[in-house]
Amino acid sequence: MRESPESLEQRIAGLRSAVRRALAGGDRTAARALRAELRAAEDSWERAVLGGGDPKPVLLPVREQVHHALSLLGVPAAPKLIVAVHDAFFSGELASSRLTSLRRDEERSFRSAPYSRPYYLCAALTADLLAPARGLLVISTWPLPTRIVGPYSPRADFLTSAIRVAEHTLRTGAGGDAVRPLLWRFAANIPGAAGDHPHDADPRRLLTAATAELEVHTGKDTEQRRQAADRARRQLGDVEQLFGARLAAAARAQNGRLP
Amino acid sequence: MTDLAARLDRLRGDAPARNHDARTIAALTTNPGCGRRGLMDAAGIDKDAVARYLGFPAPFGQSQFAIARGNAFEKQVKDDGFAELFTLLRERLGLPVPQVAIESLDEVGGNHGSELRHAQTRRALARALAGDGSTLFDHPLLRLDIAGQPAYLEPDVLAFRLGDKFYVIEIKSFAIIDGQADPEQVAAAARQSAVYVLALRRLLTQLGHPATAVSHEVILVCPENFSNQPAAAFVDVRKQLSVIERQLSRISRIDDLVAALPEEMTFELGDGLASAIRAVEARYAPDCVSSCELAFFCRDEARACGSTDLLGIAVRDDVGGVETLATALGLADGSLAPSPEQVEIAAKLRLARLLRAQALEGVA
Amino acid sequence: MSTLTALARIEAARTGSAQPLATVRHCHLGEQPLVLIPLKLSGEAAAPLAAMVGTARKDPALLVVAQPRNRDLRFGFAAELAALVLSYVESRQAGTETVPTKDGEGRQRYSDAPQVLVPNPGGITFLRLLGRSTRFRRIDGPYPVEASVPLLGRWLTWLCDRAEQPGSSVLMPMTSMLAGHWATGQSTFEDANLGALLGWLDPPEGMTGPQAALRAEDPLLCPPAGPTTDPGFDNEELAPLLAAYDRAPADQARMAATDRLRRALRRQLEPTWELMWRSIELLRALPEGAHVTGRWEGDRESFTHFAEGVPEGFPQAKRDSAVAAARRLIRLERAQDELDVQRALDDPLVMAEHRLTGEAFAGIVVAAQPDRLDTTGKTPKLRPYLQVRTSDPLRVADGDTVHNAGRKGQKALVVDVNAGTVLLELSSGMGRKRVAEPGSVPEVGDRVCFTTFAADFHRSPVLPPLEQTPWTHGGPPEAYVPGDDEAVAYPPTAADALEVWE
Ligand code: SF4
Repeated sequence: MRESPESLEQRIAGLRSAVRRALAGGDRTAARALRAELRAAEDSWERAVLGGGDPKPVLLPVREQVHHALSLLGVPAAPKLIVAVHDAFFSGELASSRLTSLRRDEERSFRSAPYSRPYYLCAALTADLLAPARGLLVISTWPLPTRIVGPYSPRADFLTSAIRVAEHTLRTGAGGDAVRPLLWRFAANIPGAAGDHPHDADPRRLLTAATAELEVHTGKDTEQRRQAADRARRQLGDVEQLFGARLAAAARAQNGRLP
Repeated sequence: MTDLAARLDRLRGDAPARNHDARTIAALTTNPGCGRRGLMDAAGIDKDAVARYLGFPAPFGQSQFAIARGNAFEKQVKDDGFAELFTLLRERLGLPVPQVAIESLDEVGGNHGSELRHAQTRRALARALAGDGSTLFDHPLLRLDIAGQPAYLEPDVLAFRLGDKFYVIEIKSFAIIDGQADPEQVAAAARQSAVYVLALRRLLTQLGHPATAVSHEVILVCPENFSNQPAAAFVDVRKQLSVIERQLSRISRIDDLVAALPEEMTFELGDGLASAIRAVEARYAPDCVSSCELAFFCRDEARACGSTDLLGIAVRDDVGGVETLATALGLADGSLAPSPEQVEIAAKLRLARLLRAQALEGVA
Repeated sequence: MSTLTALARIEAARTGSAQPLATVRHCHLGEQPLVLIPLKLSGEAAAPLAAMVGTARKDPALLVVAQPRNRDLRFGFAAELAALVLSYVESRQAGTETVPTKDGEGRQRYSDAPQVLVPNPGGITFLRLLGRSTRFRRIDGPYPVEASVPLLGRWLTWLCDRAEQPGSSVLMPMTSMLAGHWATGQSTFEDANLGALLGWLDPPEGMTGPQAALRAEDPLLCPPAGPTTDPGFDNEELAPLLAAYDRAPADQARMAATDRLRRALRRQLEPTWELMWRSIELLRALPEGAHVTGRWEGDRESFTHFAEGVPEGFPQAKRDSAVAAARRLIRLERAQDELDVQRALDDPLVMAEHRLTGEAFAGIVVAAQPDRLDTTGKTPKLRPYLQVRTSDPLRVADGDTVHNAGRKGQKALVVDVNAGTVLLELSSGMGRKRVAEPGSVPEVGDRVCFTTFAADFHRSPVLPPLEQTPWTHGGPPEAYVPGDDEAVAYPPTAADALEVWE
């Protein structure tokens, strides 16, 4: 049952003096606890008096939103970038907090009914141990080398993302306030891509600059990823190829690699 | 396990050992003369728990806003494949464009075990030294032996290789404004980074390379001018390095301290704790409050015995190193006969007392 | 510190109550100081969280930023603060006085100046950063602010610059003011806590100094005086309140959340507000030192000069040129020397420090020849002899020149020093005739004090004029004009774009 505002008022007054008493007695732990209780009471009072406020539930299919953004990027990406791409090009809300449990849910679903979905969202695999790389999401249907990240991949993938975003911008003619910060995020950190000003983040210049730098890294990166992918195919089962090796398998992988 | 290590374990009792981190190691240098802290740290004793048990909780605490700010800034600098950091290193240090490889050392296949991670760090650095390795090493796990105990250092720090030099990069969220940052925070960062430099040097030496392969300049990455834009500054930590090295070599002489203690003594939480701690000599100074969890306990002790340490080193120096308030006042009013080495300061104190009295009298 | 101060501290520690370090007040304390207690958000360089401001103890204004990470709210706060500070500054310009000039025309100088009191040096650091973060803001363009905001920045910058001048009273930290006049029985480290410091100076009924100081170290009982808030408060109170504000869906709920935040911050600020005014009372009870008026005149001079330049001027540069920095350093050193001497002359307790080191001596005139003439030259000169007996340690020797602390401009030559007596030959400060002006030569039985340092300073130019700056110092500086980079260095840089990411 809801407490009435009147009785809440009384409780609040009581708690206030209890806090003071605890303070006078030097019991800081109790004081802090009482303060927390006081705040809760104040919150309920506000709700009772002002009415309202459970935030409205968002019921959009997160995995689809993530799939869209990832497909646009075409390389492993961190939640923050995924959300930024989503905000720039797609409608609806995508809260990064909802991405945290995504990977685990996907793995559970795959294990209980393998390949029943057209795609799964998985973690990228590290090139050395073929273990899940923290914080990087990929789509299961991508080729294995794309889903593996080696030492050069963070930079290479950043540049590829920049290229894909620039291309998408040019293709769709998208622009304005939503896209500009995204372009600038890339342009500011790629040599020759940035103008003087966030306001003139130019997709064409970004495209040229990112392509030029990617040219430098792509050989080494592709080769390392390909080698790791070969190893993964030899050593890992289906589930592991998608969701990464556990430590035992990781140790195996490592032993296999190091003399 | 050495005898000393065994004895230190016994001092700690059943409580789990608290590992040193760069902060606690750096703190050793702020009051190096204190045997009490040296011993307790060497034994891995949780000083915070001890202080709380004794009724003198440490006045430390971190605001969640400060923590959140620090984490957010570090993450931002490392986001997008360390994009902002590379931009900074390329602009400031001329890092060649092809050098972009990153080794992530914060876990080994989902495992966070210290030894495993440390081994991984060694391997990664060995590869780099052999000329075929990455440029940035994220969250390397370093190790320093302190009083025979390995202390793993869990830095949110990067090792960075340029040419054949390694640099320690420390990401801090305090601001550099018009080229200046809060000197206290810079000093604290320098002390901490020096510990990392030392640990990295030891590792390189083990791998058969000269210690000088690790630069004595650390790269501090901080937000600039009220924005979130990172800026880099070099900090020379040679001074801090030598202080820390000296401290660490002294710590190993903790044997002497231990030898002087009764065999059965322990610092376990319990009735005898306070007296056990008092048995080890401390050297209280007012700024202990900012560096040591036991500060309020030691201050209380200094107060109880009327020590001039309470008032700070400057006051103590001004009264010629006299140890207690009572002695200083006794010498000043002549009620105490000075020892031969106190004659000079006693005369000065007497005169000071007289002059103060005269000046105050004039007002009354 | 000195042995004398050390002894005072030791006495304080022994007796449990503070001991005087001064017999007069060495800073100006106006009728209407502006008390300003700023709080900032932990972990940020200069994100204001709240401030309590006012010139009347009974009537503090409370300014609060409901979400310190919100740029608009931050600058809203700056505008509110600007309204208060600028109208205070204006109120100091009500009266003027005429200062004679060479051309005989005279010029106007304000008869008052602003005086801002903050709890501690951290408060000044914060105001400096707030000044830096507001004075370059633009009132047009992409992120416009109210016109008062950059003006506030310039005034805060002036206050903070001026505060570096030893002896200035326009912006002072209360802890330093108190610690300059009283010694506590704790360390200077602990004196940095206004509550603890005042605990020693003015403990509540029935408490000793150390008891009151200990109590003041408990952040639950005595919230810290800022600008950093207590981490416990941040985590237990502030965080949930800010979160509630962020969550509040509608205006009404947001107002309720803001109200609660204000109440919480008021509770953090009010105790310090009281401490500030209690401190002012204590300082007011001390009589003002003789040279304070002169130093305050310097502050009024600087105020007048700056205020005249405000309408056309540019915001102060981010960094001094090499020459400006050198000049400034010399000026500050000189002001420090001057302050040290003036304090000694104004206050026997400060003079005692110099007597202890032998830079001054005091004693009784035991013999005098007030009409002695020196006839060795062409014309006889009035050169009275004084014999002074003193128990002070003497560091003066024959042939030294000393200065009479009790009579400005009176010099004397040490003729002989012998077992606690000094023979002096007065050479000036007695008028122009062959007979001394009545009262200008100390008489037998008078207490006198002579110093080895003089009270008057010559203001000779110590650096070449600006246009002759040697090349070693970068040559003549270019006039400072904020360029475009200055103007855009702020809102619309990459930095700001990145802020948008968060
Ligand atoms: S607080 Fe005590 S134990 Fe800690 S360093 Fe100071 S004196 Fe030593």
